[in-house]
Amino acid sequence: MIRAGIAALLAGLALAGAPVRAGAASGAGALPPYAGLYQPSTVDERGLWMKADEYERQLRDSAFVIRDAALNAYVRGVFCRTVGPDRCAAVRLYVMRVPQFNATMMPNGALQIWSGLLLRVRSEAELAGILGHEFAHFERRHGLGRLRHGRVMTDIASWAGVLGGVSGLVVQTQAIGSIFTHSRADESEADLLGARYGAAAGYDARALPAIWMRLMDEADATALGRRQRSHRYDRVSFFASHPTSAQRAADLRAAAAALPPGGESGDQRLVGAIAPWRSAFLEDQLKLNDFEGTDVLLRQIAEAGWSEDLLFARAELYRGRGHPRDLVAAADLYRQAIGLNAGHPESWRGLGLALLRGGQVDEGRQALRHYLAARPDAADASMLAALLT
Amino acid sequence: MMGPMIGRVAAALLVLTGAAAAWAGNTLVAAGQRVAVAKSALTVAPASEWNRLGARPGRQTETWTLDGDPLNDLTFYGGIETGRPLFREVAKRTKPLPHFSSTMLLTDLPALFEQSYRIALDTPLVTIDASEPASFLGEKAVRFRYGFTRQGEEVKRQGEAVAAIVGGRLYMITFEAPSIHFFGRDIGRVRDLVASARLGA
Repeated sequence: MIRAGIAALLAGLALAGAPVRAGAASGAGALPPYAGLYQPSTVDERGLWMKADEYERQLRDSAFVIRDAALNAYVRGVFCRTVGPDRCAAVRLYVMRVPQFNATMMPNGALQIWSGLLLRVRSEAELAGILGHEFAHFERRHGLGRLRHGRVMTDIASWAGVLGGVSGLVVQTQAIGSIFTHSRADESEADLLGARYGAAAGYDARALPAIWMRLMDEADATALGRRQRSHRYDRVSFFASHPTSAQRAADLRAAAAALPPGGESGDQRLVGAIAPWRSAFLEDQLKLNDFEGTDVLLRQIAEAGWSEDLLFARAELYRGRGHPRDLVAAADLYRQAIGLNAGHPESWRGLGLALLRGGQVDEGRQALRHYLAARPDAADASMLAALLT
Repeated sequence: MMGPMIGRVAAALLVLTGAAAAWAGNTLVAAGQRVAVAKSALTVAPASEWNRLGARPGRQTETWTLDGDPLNDLTFYGGIETGRPLFREVAKRTKPLPHFSSTMLLTDLPALFEQSYRIALDTPLVTIDASEPASFLGEKAVRFRYGFTRQGEEVKRQGEAVAAIVGGRLYMITFEAPSIHFFGRDIGRVRDLVASARLGA
Protein backbone atom coordinates (compact mmCIF):
# COMPACT_ATOMS: atom_id res chain seq x y z
CA MET A 1 0.00 0.00 0.00
CA ILE A 2 2.60 2.45 1.10
CA ARG A 3 4.82 1.47 -1.72
CA ALA A 4 2.12 1.95 -4.31
CA GLY A 5 1.00 5.27 -2.85
CA ILE A 6 4.44 6.69 -2.57
CA ALA A 7 5.50 5.32 -5.91
CA ALA A 8 2.75 7.37 -7.47
CA LEU A 9 3.58 10.41 -5.41
CA LEU A 10 7.29 10.30 -6.05
CA ALA A 11 7.05 8.73 -9.46
CA GLY A 12 10.13 8.42 -11.54
CA LEU A 13 12.84 8.48 -8.94
CA ALA A 14 13.47 4.78 -9.17
CA LEU A 15 16.50 3.46 -10.93
CA ALA A 16 14.63 1.01 -13.10
CA GLY A 17 11.16 1.27 -14.42
CA ALA A 18 9.60 0.16 -17.54
CA PRO A 19 12.05 0.55 -20.16
CA VAL A 20 15.03 8.01 -23.55
CA ARG A 21 15.98 10.65 -24.41
CA ALA A 22 19.67 11.15 -24.45
CA GLY A 23 21.78 14.17 -24.00
CA ALA A 24 19.81 16.17 -21.43
CA ALA A 25 22.96 16.65 -19.44
CA SER A 26 25.33 16.66 -22.34
CA GLY A 27 28.61 18.44 -22.09
CA ALA A 28 30.73 16.19 -19.94
CA GLY A 29 32.67 18.18 -17.44
CA ALA A 30 32.66 19.44 -13.92
CA LEU A 31 30.21 18.17 -11.34
CA PRO A 32 27.59 20.65 -10.17
CA PRO A 33 28.70 22.69 -7.16
CA TYR A 34 27.26 21.44 -3.87
CA ALA A 35 25.37 23.94 -1.75
CA GLY A 36 25.78 22.23 1.63
CA LEU A 37 22.94 21.13 3.87
CA TYR A 38 19.93 21.81 1.73
CA GLN A 39 16.50 22.76 3.01
CA PRO A 40 13.35 22.86 0.90
CA SER A 41 12.45 26.38 -0.12
CA THR A 42 9.15 26.84 -1.96
CA VAL A 43 5.63 25.77 -0.99
CA ASP A 44 5.79 22.94 -3.51
CA GLU A 45 9.09 21.64 -2.29
CA ARG A 46 8.19 21.89 1.38
CA GLY A 47 5.01 19.94 0.70
CA LEU A 48 6.91 17.29 -1.21
CA TRP A 49 9.44 16.94 1.58
CA MET A 50 6.73 16.77 4.21
CA LYS A 51 5.17 13.78 2.46
CA ALA A 52 8.55 12.18 1.96
CA ASP A 53 9.41 12.72 5.64
CA GLU A 54 6.19 11.01 6.67
CA TYR A 55 6.93 8.07 4.41
CA GLU A 56 10.48 7.85 5.68
CA ARG A 57 9.27 7.63 9.27
CA GLN A 58 7.45 4.42 8.33
CA LEU A 59 10.30 3.21 6.18
CA ARG A 60 12.79 3.61 9.02
CA ASP A 61 10.88 1.13 11.20
CA SER A 62 9.99 -1.31 8.41
CA ALA A 63 10.70 -5.02 8.82
CA PHE A 64 12.03 -4.94 5.26
CA VAL A 65 15.08 -2.81 6.16
CA ILE A 66 18.26 -4.88 6.44
CA ARG A 67 19.98 -3.59 9.57
CA ASP A 68 23.22 -5.57 9.32
CA ALA A 69 25.89 -3.06 10.37
CA ALA A 70 28.66 -4.38 8.13
CA LEU A 71 26.55 -4.39 4.96
CA ASN A 72 25.19 -0.91 5.69
CA ALA A 73 28.66 0.43 6.43
CA TYR A 74 29.95 -0.99 3.16
CA VAL A 75 27.19 0.46 0.96
CA ARG A 76 27.42 3.79 2.74
CA GLY A 77 31.20 3.76 2.34
CA VAL A 78 30.91 3.28 -1.42
CA PHE A 79 28.26 5.99 -1.57
CA CYS A 80 30.35 8.48 0.43
CA ARG A 81 33.40 7.81 -1.68
CA THR A 82 31.33 8.30 -4.85
CA VAL A 83 29.66 11.61 -4.03
CA GLY A 84 32.08 12.91 -1.40
CA PRO A 85 31.60 13.36 2.36
CA ASP A 86 29.56 16.59 2.18
CA ARG A 87 26.92 15.25 -0.19
CA CYS A 88 26.95 11.90 1.61
CA ALA A 89 25.94 13.55 4.87
CA ALA A 90 22.70 14.80 3.28
CA VAL A 91 21.41 11.29 2.60
CA ARG A 92 19.95 8.44 4.69
CA LEU A 93 20.53 5.10 3.12
CA TYR A 94 18.20 2.09 3.55
CA VAL A 95 19.15 -1.37 2.31
CA MET A 96 15.83 -3.11 1.64
CA ARG A 97 15.04 -6.83 1.50
CA VAL A 98 13.28 -6.77 -1.87
CA PRO A 99 14.46 -9.36 -4.39
CA GLN A 100 14.16 -7.19 -7.51
CA PHE A 101 16.67 -4.88 -9.18
CA ASN A 102 15.97 -1.32 -8.11
CA ALA A 103 17.02 1.69 -6.08
CA THR A 104 14.98 4.78 -5.36
CA MET A 105 15.63 8.30 -4.12
CA MET A 106 13.03 10.44 -2.37
CA PRO A 107 13.05 14.24 -2.66
CA ASN A 108 14.17 14.60 0.97
CA GLY A 109 17.30 12.52 0.52
CA ALA A 110 16.14 9.06 1.64
CA LEU A 111 17.82 6.51 -0.60
CA GLN A 112 16.60 2.91 -0.83
CA ILE A 113 18.68 0.20 -2.37
CA TRP A 114 17.11 -3.23 -2.88
CA SER A 115 18.74 -6.55 -2.12
CA GLY A 116 17.97 -7.79 -5.64
CA LEU A 117 20.23 -5.01 -6.93
CA LEU A 118 23.07 -5.96 -4.60
CA LEU A 119 22.80 -9.54 -5.89
CA ARG A 120 23.09 -8.31 -9.48
CA VAL A 121 25.90 -5.76 -9.40
CA ARG A 122 29.29 -7.15 -10.21
CA SER A 123 31.70 -4.50 -8.99
CA GLU A 124 31.99 -1.49 -6.74
CA ALA A 125 32.25 0.65 -9.88
CA GLU A 126 28.76 -0.49 -10.93
CA LEU A 127 27.35 0.12 -7.48
CA ALA A 128 28.97 3.57 -7.43
CA GLY A 129 27.36 4.47 -10.76
CA ILE A 130 23.94 3.46 -9.44
CA LEU A 131 24.33 5.30 -6.13
CA GLY A 132 25.57 8.31 -8.08
CA HIS A 133 22.48 8.08 -10.31
CA GLU A 134 20.21 8.20 -7.27
CA PHE A 135 22.10 11.08 -5.72
CA ALA A 136 21.82 12.97 -9.01
CA HIS A 137 18.02 12.85 -8.66
CA PHE A 138 18.40 14.51 -5.28
CA GLU A 139 21.01 17.01 -6.31
CA ARG A 140 19.12 18.06 -9.43
CA ARG A 141 15.83 18.09 -7.51
CA HIS A 142 14.12 15.95 -10.10
CA GLY A 143 11.21 15.15 -7.81
CA LEU A 144 10.26 18.79 -7.58
CA GLY A 145 10.76 19.41 -11.28
CA ARG A 146 8.56 16.46 -12.10
CA LEU A 147 5.82 17.59 -9.73
CA ARG A 148 5.69 21.05 -11.28
CA HIS A 149 5.97 19.91 -14.86
CA GLY A 150 3.32 17.25 -14.28
CA ARG A 151 0.97 19.81 -12.76
CA VAL A 152 1.29 22.22 -15.66
CA MET A 153 0.85 19.47 -18.20
CA THR A 154 -2.21 17.95 -16.52
CA ASP A 155 -3.70 21.49 -16.32
CA ILE A 156 -3.16 21.88 -20.03
CA ALA A 157 -4.66 18.48 -20.68
CA SER A 158 -7.73 19.36 -18.58
CA TRP A 159 -8.32 22.65 -20.40
CA ALA A 160 -7.80 20.92 -23.71
CA GLY A 161 -10.54 18.50 -22.67
CA VAL A 162 -12.89 21.48 -22.21
CA LEU A 163 -11.88 22.66 -25.67
CA GLY A 164 -12.89 19.28 -27.04
CA GLY A 165 -12.71 18.00 -30.58
CA VAL A 166 -9.74 16.61 -32.42
CA SER A 167 -7.48 19.56 -31.58
CA GLY A 168 -8.26 19.15 -27.89
CA LEU A 169 -7.35 15.48 -28.09
CA VAL A 170 -4.07 16.27 -29.85
CA VAL A 171 -3.10 18.82 -27.18
CA GLN A 172 -4.06 16.36 -24.41
CA THR A 173 -1.94 13.64 -25.92
CA GLN A 174 1.05 15.93 -26.27
CA ALA A 175 0.69 17.24 -22.72
CA ILE A 176 0.50 13.75 -21.20
CA GLY A 177 3.34 12.54 -23.39
CA SER A 178 5.44 15.46 -22.20
CA ILE A 179 5.23 14.23 -18.60
CA PHE A 180 6.85 10.95 -19.55
CA THR A 181 9.39 12.55 -21.88
CA HIS A 182 10.40 14.81 -19.01
CA SER A 183 10.77 11.79 -16.71
CA ARG A 184 12.96 9.96 -19.22
CA ALA A 185 15.15 13.03 -19.67
CA ASP A 186 15.67 13.15 -15.88
CA GLU A 187 16.69 9.50 -15.85
CA SER A 188 19.19 10.02 -18.64
CA GLU A 189 20.62 13.03 -16.88
CA ALA A 190 20.96 11.01 -13.66
CA ASP A 191 22.63 8.13 -15.52
CA LEU A 192 25.27 10.42 -16.96
CA LEU A 193 25.79 12.34 -13.75
CA GLY A 194 26.11 9.04 -11.86
CA ALA A 195 28.82 7.94 -14.27
CA ARG A 196 30.65 11.22 -13.68
CA TYR A 197 30.45 10.92 -9.88
CA GLY A 198 31.88 7.42 -10.12
CA ALA A 199 34.69 8.47 -12.44
CA ALA A 200 35.59 11.45 -10.25
CA ALA A 201 35.86 9.06 -7.29
CA GLY A 202 38.30 6.84 -9.18
CA TYR A 203 35.91 4.15 -10.44
CA ASP A 204 35.98 2.77 -13.94
CA ALA A 205 32.93 4.20 -15.75
CA ARG A 206 33.32 1.69 -18.57
CA ALA A 207 31.82 -0.90 -16.23
CA LEU A 208 28.38 0.69 -16.28
CA PRO A 209 26.78 -0.35 -19.61
CA ALA A 210 27.26 -4.03 -18.70
CA ILE A 211 24.62 -3.80 -15.93
CA TRP A 212 21.93 -3.01 -18.47
CA MET A 213 23.14 -5.65 -20.89
CA ARG A 214 22.94 -8.31 -18.19
CA LEU A 215 19.49 -7.15 -17.10
CA MET A 216 18.27 -7.44 -20.69
CA ASP A 217 19.62 -10.99 -20.94
CA GLU A 218 17.86 -11.92 -17.72
CA ALA A 219 14.60 -10.26 -18.80
CA ASP A 220 14.75 -12.07 -22.14
CA ALA A 221 15.12 -15.41 -20.35
CA THR A 222 12.25 -14.62 -17.98
CA ALA A 223 10.05 -13.70 -20.94
CA LEU A 224 11.04 -16.84 -22.82
CA GLY A 225 10.25 -19.03 -19.81
CA ARG A 226 6.82 -17.44 -19.53
CA ARG A 227 6.18 -17.73 -23.26
CA GLN A 228 6.21 -13.98 -23.74
CA ARG A 229 8.08 -11.92 -26.27
CA SER A 230 11.34 -10.11 -25.62
CA HIS A 231 11.18 -6.37 -25.10
CA ARG A 232 14.87 -5.93 -25.81
CA TYR A 233 14.54 -4.09 -29.09
CA ASP A 234 11.31 -2.26 -28.32
CA ARG A 235 11.20 1.42 -29.03
CA VAL A 236 10.51 3.59 -26.03
CA SER A 237 6.79 3.48 -25.27
CA PHE A 238 4.54 6.48 -24.75
CA PHE A 239 4.11 5.88 -21.02
CA ALA A 240 7.69 4.81 -20.24
CA SER A 241 9.10 6.64 -17.22
CA HIS A 242 12.60 5.38 -17.97
CA PRO A 243 14.66 5.00 -21.14
CA THR A 244 14.94 1.45 -22.47
CA SER A 245 17.80 -0.62 -21.07
CA ALA A 246 19.41 -0.76 -24.52
CA GLN A 247 19.32 3.02 -24.76
CA ARG A 248 20.80 3.41 -21.30
CA ALA A 249 23.61 1.01 -22.10
CA ALA A 250 24.40 2.91 -25.31
CA ASP A 251 24.29 6.31 -23.60
CA LEU A 252 26.50 5.13 -20.76
CA ARG A 253 28.98 3.65 -23.20
CA ALA A 254 29.22 6.99 -24.99
CA ALA A 255 29.50 8.86 -21.68
CA ALA A 256 32.25 6.56 -20.43
CA ALA A 257 34.22 7.10 -23.64
CA ALA A 258 34.15 10.84 -23.04
CA LEU A 259 35.48 10.48 -19.49
CA PRO A 260 39.18 10.12 -18.72
CA PRO A 261 40.18 6.43 -18.99
CA GLY A 262 41.32 4.35 -16.04
CA GLY A 263 39.81 3.86 -12.65
CA GLU A 264 39.30 0.71 -10.63
CA SER A 265 36.42 -1.76 -10.61
CA GLY A 266 36.65 -2.87 -6.97
CA ASP A 267 34.99 -6.17 -7.82
CA GLN A 268 36.71 -8.20 -5.10
CA ARG A 269 35.68 -5.76 -2.39
CA LEU A 270 32.07 -5.91 -3.54
CA VAL A 271 32.01 -9.71 -3.66
CA GLY A 272 33.54 -9.82 -0.18
CA ALA A 273 31.00 -7.40 1.26
CA ILE A 274 27.99 -9.19 -0.23
CA ALA A 275 29.30 -12.69 0.62
CA PRO A 276 27.63 -13.03 4.05
CA TRP A 277 24.28 -12.19 2.44
CA ARG A 278 24.58 -13.91 -0.90
CA SER A 279 22.89 -17.16 0.15
CA ALA A 280 19.91 -15.27 1.57
CA PHE A 281 19.59 -13.08 -1.53
CA LEU A 282 19.87 -16.15 -3.77
CA GLU A 283 17.17 -17.90 -1.74
CA ASP A 284 14.83 -14.93 -2.20
CA GLN A 285 15.50 -15.03 -5.94
CA LEU A 286 14.88 -18.80 -6.15
CA LYS A 287 11.46 -18.41 -4.58
CA LEU A 288 10.23 -15.99 -7.26
CA ASN A 289 9.20 -18.88 -9.52
CA ASP A 290 11.22 -17.52 -12.47
CA PHE A 291 13.16 -20.57 -13.63
CA GLU A 292 14.69 -19.25 -16.84
CA GLY A 293 15.53 -15.77 -15.55
CA THR A 294 17.10 -17.18 -12.39
CA ASP A 295 19.13 -19.69 -14.36
CA VAL A 296 20.58 -16.90 -16.52
CA LEU A 297 21.25 -14.79 -13.43
CA LEU A 298 23.09 -17.66 -11.74
CA ARG A 299 25.19 -18.24 -14.84
CA GLN A 300 26.00 -14.52 -14.96
CA ILE A 301 27.12 -14.51 -11.34
CA ALA A 302 29.11 -17.70 -11.91
CA GLU A 303 31.09 -16.23 -14.80
CA ALA A 304 34.13 -16.14 -12.53
CA GLY A 305 33.54 -19.77 -11.53
CA TRP A 306 30.93 -21.96 -9.86
CA SER A 307 31.28 -21.82 -6.10
CA GLU A 308 29.41 -24.17 -3.78
CA ASP A 309 26.65 -21.67 -2.94
CA LEU A 310 25.97 -21.03 -6.64
CA LEU A 311 25.93 -24.76 -7.46
CA PHE A 312 23.60 -25.32 -4.51
CA ALA A 313 21.31 -22.49 -5.64
CA ARG A 314 21.15 -23.89 -9.16
CA ALA A 315 20.44 -27.36 -7.80
CA GLU A 316 17.59 -25.97 -5.69
CA LEU A 317 16.24 -24.21 -8.78
CA TYR A 318 16.12 -27.47 -10.73
CA ARG A 319 14.73 -29.49 -7.84
CA GLY A 320 12.07 -26.83 -7.37
CA ARG A 321 10.82 -27.20 -10.95
CA GLY A 322 10.80 -30.93 -10.37
CA HIS A 323 10.52 -32.52 -13.84
CA PRO A 324 12.17 -35.97 -13.78
CA ARG A 325 15.10 -34.60 -15.81
CA ASP A 326 15.39 -31.63 -13.44
CA LEU A 327 15.74 -34.00 -10.48
CA VAL A 328 18.62 -35.76 -12.24
CA ALA A 329 20.28 -32.42 -13.05
CA ALA A 330 19.73 -31.22 -9.48
CA ALA A 331 21.32 -34.34 -7.98
CA ASP A 332 24.35 -33.82 -10.19
CA LEU A 333 24.64 -30.17 -9.13
CA TYR A 334 24.31 -31.04 -5.44
CA ARG A 335 27.08 -33.60 -5.87
CA GLN A 336 29.28 -30.94 -7.51
CA ALA A 337 28.64 -28.62 -4.56
CA ILE A 338 29.50 -31.43 -2.14
CA GLY A 339 32.62 -32.07 -4.24
CA LEU A 340 33.75 -28.51 -3.54
CA ASN A 341 32.80 -28.69 0.12
CA ALA A 342 31.77 -32.04 1.58
CA GLY A 343 30.71 -30.25 4.73
CA HIS A 344 27.89 -28.29 3.06
CA PRO A 345 24.92 -29.92 4.85
CA GLU A 346 22.16 -28.20 2.82
CA SER A 347 23.51 -29.86 -0.32
CA TRP A 348 23.12 -33.27 1.34
CA ARG A 349 19.54 -32.38 2.21
CA GLY A 350 18.75 -31.27 -1.33
CA LEU A 351 20.49 -34.32 -2.80
CA GLY A 352 18.48 -36.63 -0.58
CA LEU A 353 15.16 -35.01 -1.48
CA ALA A 354 15.97 -34.90 -5.20
CA LEU A 355 16.87 -38.59 -5.21
CA LEU A 356 13.83 -39.57 -3.16
CA ARG A 357 11.47 -37.70 -5.44
CA GLY A 358 13.24 -39.22 -8.43
CA GLY A 359 12.61 -42.70 -7.05
CA GLN A 360 16.17 -43.51 -5.88
CA VAL A 361 15.03 -44.25 -2.37
CA ASP A 362 18.07 -45.91 -0.77
CA GLU A 363 20.60 -43.36 -2.02
CA GLY A 364 18.24 -40.56 -1.12
CA ARG A 365 17.83 -41.77 2.44
CA GLN A 366 21.58 -42.13 2.79
CA ALA A 367 22.07 -38.49 1.78
CA LEU A 368 19.39 -37.37 4.22
CA ARG A 369 21.13 -39.29 7.01
CA HIS A 370 24.27 -37.28 6.18
CA TYR A 371 22.30 -34.09 6.57
CA LEU A 372 20.61 -35.11 9.82
CA ALA A 373 23.94 -36.15 11.31
CA ALA A 374 25.29 -32.66 10.56
CA ARG A 375 22.11 -30.78 11.50
CA PRO A 376 20.25 -32.80 14.14
CA ASP A 377 18.48 -29.63 15.30
CA ALA A 378 17.23 -28.55 11.86
CA ALA A 379 13.70 -27.10 11.87
CA ASP A 380 12.49 -29.94 9.65
CA ALA A 381 14.60 -32.70 11.23
CA SER A 382 11.67 -34.82 12.44
CA MET A 383 9.92 -34.47 9.07
CA LEU A 384 13.03 -35.60 7.22
CA ALA A 385 13.55 -38.44 9.69
CA ALA A 386 10.04 -39.62 8.84
CA LEU A 387 11.14 -40.00 5.21
CA LEU A 388 13.83 -42.47 6.26
CA THR A 389 11.40 -45.30 6.97
CA MET B 1 -6.21 7.60 -23.80
CA MET B 2 -9.81 6.40 -23.80
CA GLY B 3 -9.01 2.70 -23.88
CA PRO B 4 -7.30 2.47 -20.49
CA MET B 5 -9.90 4.75 -18.92
CA ILE B 6 -12.81 2.61 -20.04
CA GLY B 7 -10.88 -0.44 -18.88
CA ARG B 8 -10.35 1.14 -15.49
CA VAL B 9 -14.03 2.04 -15.08
CA ALA B 10 -15.02 -1.47 -16.13
CA ALA B 11 -12.53 -2.95 -13.69
CA ALA B 12 -13.85 -0.72 -10.89
CA LEU B 13 -17.42 -1.81 -11.61
CA LEU B 14 -16.32 -5.42 -11.69
CA VAL B 15 -14.60 -5.04 -8.34
CA LEU B 16 -17.69 -3.35 -6.91
CA THR B 17 -20.07 -6.03 -8.11
CA GLY B 18 -17.60 -8.73 -7.11
CA ALA B 19 -17.30 -7.26 -3.62
CA ALA B 20 -21.08 -6.99 -3.32
CA ALA B 21 -21.52 -10.59 -4.40
CA ALA B 22 -18.82 -11.75 -2.01
CA TRP B 23 -20.33 -9.74 0.83
CA ALA B 24 -23.72 -11.25 0.17
CA GLY B 25 -22.19 -14.72 0.30
CA ASN B 26 -20.85 -14.51 3.85
CA THR B 27 -22.65 -17.00 6.06
CA LEU B 28 -22.62 -18.19 9.64
CA VAL B 29 -21.30 -21.67 10.31
CA ALA B 30 -23.22 -23.16 13.21
CA ALA B 31 -21.45 -24.96 16.03
CA GLY B 32 -21.71 -28.68 16.54
CA GLN B 33 -22.59 -29.72 12.99
CA ARG B 34 -20.41 -31.41 10.44
CA VAL B 35 -20.07 -29.29 7.30
CA ALA B 36 -18.43 -29.82 3.91
CA VAL B 37 -15.84 -27.18 2.98
CA ALA B 38 -14.09 -25.85 -0.13
CA LYS B 39 -16.61 -27.50 -2.46
CA SER B 40 -14.96 -30.83 -1.76
CA ALA B 41 -15.34 -34.03 0.21
CA LEU B 42 -13.45 -32.43 3.10
CA THR B 43 -15.69 -32.05 6.18
CA VAL B 44 -15.10 -30.56 9.61
CA ALA B 45 -17.15 -30.29 12.81
CA PRO B 46 -16.59 -26.88 14.44
CA ALA B 47 -17.21 -26.73 18.19
CA SER B 48 -17.93 -23.00 18.02
CA GLU B 49 -19.43 -20.59 15.49
CA TRP B 50 -17.39 -19.31 12.55
CA ASN B 51 -18.04 -17.00 9.60
CA ARG B 52 -17.64 -18.46 6.16
CA LEU B 53 -16.44 -15.79 3.70
CA GLY B 54 -18.18 -15.62 0.35
CA ALA B 55 -14.97 -14.45 -1.31
CA ARG B 56 -12.88 -17.55 -1.87
CA PRO B 57 -9.11 -17.46 -2.49
CA GLY B 58 -9.42 -19.97 -5.29
CA ARG B 59 -11.68 -22.49 -6.92
CA GLN B 60 -11.03 -25.29 -4.41
CA THR B 61 -10.48 -23.17 -1.34
CA GLU B 62 -12.62 -21.54 1.31
CA THR B 63 -11.89 -19.15 4.16
CA TRP B 64 -13.46 -18.92 7.60
CA THR B 65 -12.88 -16.20 10.14
CA LEU B 66 -13.96 -15.02 13.59
CA ASP B 67 -13.25 -11.29 13.52
CA GLY B 68 -12.39 -10.69 9.85
CA ASP B 69 -9.71 -12.41 7.79
CA PRO B 70 -6.89 -9.96 8.61
CA LEU B 71 -7.29 -11.00 12.26
CA ASN B 72 -7.95 -14.72 11.94
CA ASP B 73 -7.92 -16.58 8.66
CA LEU B 74 -8.73 -20.29 8.52
CA THR B 75 -8.42 -21.54 4.95
CA PHE B 76 -9.33 -24.97 3.62
CA TYR B 77 -7.73 -26.33 0.47
CA GLY B 78 -10.01 -29.10 -0.74
CA GLY B 79 -8.14 -31.28 -3.18
CA ILE B 80 -5.87 -29.15 -5.37
CA GLU B 81 -5.08 -31.07 -8.56
CA THR B 82 -1.71 -31.50 -10.24
CA GLY B 83 -0.79 -28.50 -12.37
CA ARG B 84 -2.90 -26.02 -10.39
CA PRO B 85 -1.71 -23.22 -8.10
CA LEU B 86 -2.84 -23.22 -4.45
CA PHE B 87 -5.09 -20.24 -5.05
CA ARG B 88 -6.09 -17.81 -7.78
CA GLU B 89 -3.25 -16.20 -9.74
CA VAL B 90 -2.55 -12.62 -8.66
CA ALA B 91 -0.69 -11.57 -11.80
CA LYS B 92 -0.21 -14.50 -14.11
CA ARG B 93 1.92 -12.65 -16.67
CA THR B 94 4.38 -10.94 -14.38
CA LYS B 95 4.52 -13.24 -11.35
CA PRO B 96 2.89 -16.62 -11.97
CA LEU B 97 2.32 -18.89 -8.98
CA PRO B 98 4.00 -22.29 -8.69
CA HIS B 99 1.86 -25.36 -9.32
CA PHE B 100 1.14 -28.37 -7.15
CA SER B 101 2.25 -31.76 -8.41
CA SER B 102 1.12 -35.12 -7.06
CA THR B 103 4.74 -36.35 -7.27
CA MET B 104 5.78 -33.87 -4.57
CA LEU B 105 7.19 -35.19 -1.31
CA LEU B 106 5.54 -34.06 1.91
CA THR B 107 8.57 -31.83 2.52
CA ASP B 108 7.85 -30.03 -0.76
CA LEU B 109 4.45 -28.86 0.47
CA PRO B 110 5.67 -26.22 2.97
CA ALA B 111 8.06 -24.98 0.27
CA LEU B 112 5.20 -24.73 -2.25
CA PHE B 113 3.14 -22.84 0.30
CA GLU B 114 5.99 -20.46 1.17
CA GLN B 115 6.72 -19.69 -2.46
CA SER B 116 3.05 -19.09 -3.24
CA TYR B 117 2.77 -16.65 -0.34
CA ARG B 118 5.96 -14.81 -1.24
CA ILE B 119 4.71 -14.26 -4.77
CA ALA B 120 1.06 -13.53 -4.02
CA LEU B 121 1.76 -11.19 -1.10
CA ASP B 122 4.82 -9.65 -2.74
CA THR B 123 7.09 -10.17 0.23
CA PRO B 124 10.33 -12.06 0.89
CA LEU B 125 9.52 -12.06 4.61
CA VAL B 126 7.84 -15.47 4.67
CA THR B 127 9.43 -18.21 6.74
CA ILE B 128 8.67 -21.84 7.46
CA ASP B 129 9.67 -22.01 11.09
CA ALA B 130 9.31 -25.74 11.75
CA SER B 131 7.78 -28.81 10.22
CA GLU B 132 7.00 -32.23 11.62
CA PRO B 133 5.26 -35.43 10.59
CA ALA B 134 1.55 -35.65 11.34
CA SER B 135 -1.55 -37.60 10.45
CA PHE B 136 -4.32 -35.88 8.49
CA LEU B 137 -7.36 -37.46 6.83
CA GLY B 138 -5.93 -40.84 7.74
CA GLU B 139 -2.78 -40.22 5.70
CA LYS B 140 0.82 -39.34 6.43
CA ALA B 141 0.97 -35.56 6.53
CA VAL B 142 3.17 -32.61 7.31
CA ARG B 143 2.37 -30.03 9.96
CA PHE B 144 4.27 -26.75 9.76
CA ARG B 145 4.44 -23.38 11.43
CA TYR B 146 5.05 -20.26 9.39
CA GLY B 147 5.32 -16.51 9.72
CA PHE B 148 5.06 -13.58 7.34
CA THR B 149 4.96 -9.81 7.06
CA ARG B 150 3.40 -7.97 4.13
CA GLN B 151 4.87 -4.88 2.53
CA GLY B 152 3.23 -1.64 3.51
CA GLU B 153 1.41 -3.23 6.44
CA GLU B 154 4.21 -4.47 8.69
CA VAL B 155 1.94 -6.65 10.87
CA LYS B 156 3.77 -9.78 11.93
CA ARG B 157 1.56 -12.80 11.39
CA GLN B 158 1.97 -16.35 12.50
CA GLY B 159 0.43 -19.47 11.06
CA GLU B 160 0.06 -23.20 11.42
CA ALA B 161 -0.89 -25.65 8.70
CA VAL B 162 -1.37 -29.32 8.05
CA ALA B 163 -1.19 -30.84 4.58
CA ALA B 164 -1.49 -34.26 2.99
CA ILE B 165 -1.72 -35.70 -0.49
CA VAL B 166 -4.75 -37.96 -0.80
CA GLY B 167 -5.42 -39.71 -4.09
CA GLY B 168 -2.99 -37.39 -5.88
CA ARG B 169 -4.73 -34.24 -4.61
CA LEU B 170 -3.55 -31.76 -2.04
CA TYR B 171 -5.66 -31.25 1.07
CA MET B 172 -4.54 -28.59 3.49
CA ILE B 173 -5.88 -26.46 6.32
CA THR B 174 -4.03 -23.28 7.27
CA PHE B 175 -4.67 -20.87 10.11
CA GLU B 176 -2.97 -17.50 10.40
CA ALA B 177 -3.39 -14.49 12.65
CA PRO B 178 -1.35 -11.57 14.00
CA SER B 179 1.33 -12.82 16.39
CA ILE B 180 0.15 -10.33 18.97
CA HIS B 181 -2.87 -11.70 20.84
CA PHE B 182 -4.88 -13.28 18.02
CA PHE B 183 -2.81 -16.33 17.08
CA GLY B 184 -2.41 -17.50 20.66
CA ARG B 185 -6.05 -16.84 21.47
CA ASP B 186 -7.50 -18.98 18.68
CA ILE B 187 -4.98 -21.69 17.82
CA GLY B 188 -6.41 -24.10 20.41
CA ARG B 189 -9.88 -24.22 18.92
CA VAL B 190 -8.39 -24.39 15.43
CA ARG B 191 -6.37 -27.48 16.36
CA ASP B 192 -9.57 -29.13 17.66
CA LEU B 193 -11.33 -28.26 14.43
CA VAL B 194 -8.47 -29.63 12.31
CA ALA B 195 -8.57 -32.85 14.34
CA SER B 196 -12.22 -33.26 13.37
CA ALA B 197 -11.44 -33.11 9.64
CA ARG B 198 -12.15 -36.11 7.45
CA LEU B 199 -13.08 -36.94 3.89
CA GLY B 200 -16.80 -37.55 3.48
CA ALA B 201 -19.65 -37.22 5.93
